Amino acid sequence: MNPSNEAKHDDESALADFLSSLMDYTPTIPDELVEHYLAKSGFQCPDVRLIRLVAVATQKFIADVASDALQQCKARQSAVVKDKKDKQQKDKRLILTMEDLSRALRDYGVNMKHQEYFADSPSTGMDPTSRDE
Amino acid sequence: MSGGAGETGSRNPSRDEDDLKRSSGGGAAEKFSRAIARIAVSQICESAGFQGIQESALDALSDVGIRYLRDLGERAHSNANSAGRTDCNVFDVVQGLEDLNLCWGFLGASDVNRCLVSSSVVREIRRFAGSAEEIPFARPVPRFPVIKSRKPTPSFAQIGETPIGNHIPDWLPAFPDPHTHLHTPRPAFYEKALDPRTDNVQETREQRKAERSLLSLQQQLSCNGAVGQSSKDVTHGGLKTKVVSDSNPFLATPLQFGEKDVSTVAVPAKLSNQAVVKNPVSVLEAFTPAIEAVRNGHCELGYNEKRVLPNKRPTVHFSFGIDKKSVGVPLGLNARNSDVENVASWFSRDEEKDYKKRRAEQILKESMENSQELA
Repeated sequence: MNPSNEAKHDDESALADFLSSLMDYTPTIPDELVEHYLAKSGFQCPDVRLIRLVAVATQKFIADVASDALQQCKARQSAVVKDKKDKQQKDKRLILTMEDLSRALRDYGVNMKHQEYFADSPSTGMDPTSRDE
Repeated sequence: MSGGAGETGSRNPSRDEDDLKRSSGGGAAEKFSRAIARIAVSQICESAGFQGIQESALDALSDVGIRYLRDLGERAHSNANSAGRTDCNVFDVVQGLEDLNLCWGFLGASDVNRCLVSSSVVREIRRFAGSAEEIPFARPVPRFPVIKSRKPTPSFAQIGETPIGNHIPDWLPAFPDPHTHLHTPRPAFYEKALDPRTDNVQETREQRKAERSLLSLQQQLSCNGAVGQSSKDVTHGGLKTKVVSDSNPFLATPLQFGEKDVSTVAVPAKLSNQAVVKNPVSVLEAFTPAIEAVRNGHCELGYNEKRVLPNKRPTVHFSFGIDKKSVGVPLGLNARNSDVENVASWFSRDEEKDYKKRRAEQILKESMENSQELA
């Protein structure tokens, strides 16, 4: 029991340290926004560290989704590069599109459907990365 | 977009209402918070490696992020309530995180006896916070929503007034000042302030005049229409015979409201002081019978400020199949230019027969010319 107790102590201290370190770390999502939405959902806590924890957790979630979408985007660009050499110049321009986002979110359980295109100009429906933006 | 990052089914109905409210555009606080969320999400995407983002993708991702945030808050709150508390603590939050991350798994999820302190979810977050560079939000955000502090009406005691009557306790809010609800005599220097008011009075008077003239015009047109139904007139082809009805139109039973469709009269700008002229097309329609009547020359409508009432009920001439050259134009134009009295004298009862002869001749001439044109 002693080692597990020690482990628990370690974990507790680790958690306490982490929470206190959160005060130094400024998450990208501002505290006021997080407080607003938590208040809407009924979350009540006077401790600022928990709000930071929630903010960091949300930031991590969005960052994970964005990185998955980035992988999708890069995979698509590498597949197209084989066809055209022009792509190499436009390779650097990575743009998060709805298509990549919906594919990335599908793994997270969010089903996102969007219109392919609205036919209002001759270039609609074409691959967005091939269009000059 | 149909959302739901691993939500339980029980909360969906209330969530749908919420979504509708949110999607219908909320209040100013909602738009403001969404805008801030968009900025934050775009910063996160930039740190992930993207150089650009589509507008719709940004909206979608920020929406998902907000839902995640709210979902986490709701779960933590419900965990605290289950434990008999109203305030949340770290374990409620960690439990909520674990529930959310359950769908895509984390280390130790299958362990039944796991302790929340050693949760791997927290460890991953810690690793993320340690590895990712710290990007603070781009701009300072004020506290929102801003709650307007309302000053309550001071009570009698606070003002120092004694309330009127013994039945009113002094801790009640004071009455408003008497000049707001009782009549006050206007002092002399207020007279200058009255000028804009008198202008308004004059304007309303003129408006009322215009409305009255409109109404009478409309009535007259409807009466003309009624008379036109009872007496069939000569057309320029001379095909139909004139049937004069014996019934006195004044003694006819009045039309009930809605029995006859009267086209709405759009008054041209000259007639009234109102600048708005609605439906310019209907003006022509509305005034065609009047214009025809003018050609007969009973009175001039719409081109003079003063109106002359006809001494006899005017007849309406329906001109069917008319082209640019109409029958009564020469007479009508002259009628418009000359005085009203002359016009009235033209069509006095003595000269009526002569007029009919002249008209018949003209009709024949016109028909001859028309047939020549057609041929």
